[in-house]
Amino acid sequence: MAHEILKLKITNEIISKIDLGRLRRELSAIDDFIIQSRVRKAGQQPTLPRTSLNLEELAKSNKLNLLVDDDRKNLGLTLTELYSHAPVMRMSFASEPSPVFLKKIITWLRAEIHPHVLLQTGLQPGIAAGCVVQSNSKYFDLSLRKHFEKNRGLLTGGITMKEPSNG
Amino acid sequence: MQLQSYLLIIGMIGVGFGVAIALVLASEKKKAKTKQSSGATAHHTQAEAIDTNINKIFNDEFREELRNRGRLHFEKIIGENAMFLQQDLQLTTSQLNDYMKQEITKTLKEEFTKYEQSINDAKQLAIDSIAKTQKAIEEQREILGKQLDEQVASEKERVLSRFEKNMADIVNHYVLAAIGNQIDLNDQLEFILGELEANKKDIIEDIKNGA
Repeated sequence: MAHEILKLKITNEIISKIDLGRLRRELSAIDDFIIQSRVRKAGQQPTLPRTSLNLEELAKSNKLNLLVDDDRKNLGLTLTELYSHAPVMRMSFASEPSPVFLKKIITWLRAEIHPHVLLQTGLQPGIAAGCVVQSNSKYFDLSLRKHFEKNRGLLTGGITMKEPSNG
Repeated sequence: MQLQSYLLIIGMIGVGFGVAIALVLASEKKKAKTKQSSGATAHHTQAEAIDTNINKIFNDEFREELRNRGRLHFEKIIGENAMFLQQDLQLTTSQLNDYMKQEITKTLKEEFTKYEQSINDAKQLAIDSIAKTQKAIEEQREILGKQLDEQVASEKERVLSRFEKNMADIVNHYVLAAIGNQIDLNDQLEFILGELEANKKDIIEDIKNGA
């Protein structure tokens, strides 16, 4: 199954486990539709569930046909596996990030860190700027406060230069 | 003073009169002794003769004359003595004045010397006391100054240390209060990606370990 995960190309619109869950529900709805369409008589077909752009893009990028049972089943299993085992990074920002911003971040993370990484966002208004990142077991403070702490010598030097002379 | 002069004059007149009577009686007694041998009968006659002669000699005019002479003589003596007495008195008064002046001057000098010495002692005592007080104040001032300098340095060090320790929080708080609402996450993208890039190795390592 891990092999299947490695083969799956996740689009950058899928950011968090919530997105994965939504995709799984959509797949399940399609499964239900297919099953129902088989057992019902002609003229009593249920309405085709609407699929999201994310699911369509995912299927398209992975060359899957969602109307094919095997493709749908494999995609569902892969999504379930991803939901359970994909690495998750938690990032907290000073304000609510926009989808465009998150897409840029997840694009970089999947290109540089891990191709299947998921992102869980949070809010920490006290950090003013930057972010706080938490991976499996590590905590990375990438906030402006930490940046100031790193450059404390520079700040102290600036204050010393501005300090009036005693004479 | 006048009463004493009168008493002196009267006394001297009495003494002169007594002396004159004594001289006359003495001469008469001498004559009587020479004739004593002539017999007791004749003695009585002679006594009477003496009394008669005395009365003749010392008649009222003679007595008045003696009184006048004595008065004049005593007046002269009294005048001379009064003059001497006045001179002595003036001299004594002058000497007394000088003596009194000297004594008073001496006493005053001694008192002034004592007074001056007392003043000098008190002055020296006050100067010593002031000097001691100034020295104590100076020492206390130096101690307090030293303590103040130490406390100021300690407080400065503590404030600076605290400021430096919390400088990041202070500046961050200031930035947050000043422009916190104006910081857009899109503007921070470059900074965040830069920080992620800087920690990329650790993040990959951690994710690999977690996987």
